[in-house]
Amino acid sequence: MADDDYNEVDMGYEDEPAEPEIEEGAEEDIDNNNNEEAVGEGEPIETEEKVELEQKGATRKTSKFMTKYERARILGTRALQISMNAPVMVELEGETDPLEIAMKELRERKIPFTIRRSLPDGSYEDWGVDELIVEDSWKRQVGGN
Amino acid sequence: MFFHIVLERNMQLHPRHFGRNLREHLVSKLMKDVEGTCSGRHGFVVAITGVDSIGKGLIRDGTGFVTFPVKYQCVVFRPFKGEILEAVVTMVNKMGFFAEAGPVQIFVSNHLIPDDMEFQSGDMPNYTTSDGSVKIQKDSEVRLKIIGTRVDATEIFCIGTIKDDFLGVINDPTAV
Repeated sequence: MADDDYNEVDMGYEDEPAEPEIEEGAEEDIDNNNNEEAVGEGEPIETEEKVELEQKGATRKTSKFMTKYERARILGTRALQISMNAPVMVELEGETDPLEIAMKELRERKIPFTIRRSLPDGSYEDWGVDELIVEDSWKRQVGGN
Repeated sequence: MFFHIVLERNMQLHPRHFGRNLREHLVSKLMKDVEGTCSGRHGFVVAITGVDSIGKGLIRDGTGFVTFPVKYQCVVFRPFKGEILEAVVTMVNKMGFFAEAGPVQIFVSNHLIPDDMEFQSGDMPNYTTSDGSVKIQKDSEVRLKIIGTRVDATEIFCIGTIKDDFLGVINDPTAV
């Protein structure tokens, strides 16, 4: 994803619910090309989700940034699963710590989760982990491309 | 009576089974868990004939397990009051005899055995008519009518009778 786009929206989440679709699609393609053979075939948990999300994409209104709470929970859950012998979705380069592997998966957007954001009115939005922009606590974008 | 019905179950899957064979693991675990069990509501699950759909998984907090709602078709066996069944005698005593029709146990009390049949004790206890032409002992096959069922959450037990027309021994193991 382009850097300038990213910097613009740095300070607030209010004004950017729209239009991520084209870029994300493109970026996803690149991602897939890069990693497909390395990972074998991944995506165990929900495969048919993709289509649904794409349709819904236009109407979703929560932030396209992953919150630090979501990040923490995803890393924690994924690290727990990896520690319980779940197949790893990335190529390992000597990492053995489950949390480190989970972070690497998140960097390469290979975590097969979907986040369900419940809203106060009882409705919810589903966001794939691979669609959300991840940044660390210093507001630097982590992973993606 | 046998039924072919669609049931749903939430399956917990361990993270080590994730990956490309996730669905296969889920189905084999389902078969292991469900086949041969008995629920009071549906009866004995005899066999799973197909899996209709596997829903989206839900990650369990704290355990890393994932719960999938699975819809599957299965054959169930549920005995009913008034149903006629054929069963194999498993035990004979002076109170009556026990018979099995597949997974279900049926007790036939000696009040529900024709009056002309008498209990004979010995190393092969049996019920015999006075002229000795009909004999109920272990491994005999009998046709009986269910007159009562006790349905628990995980068990079904039946009371049967052979004191009716066309009921009784249908195949005597000693005669063969």
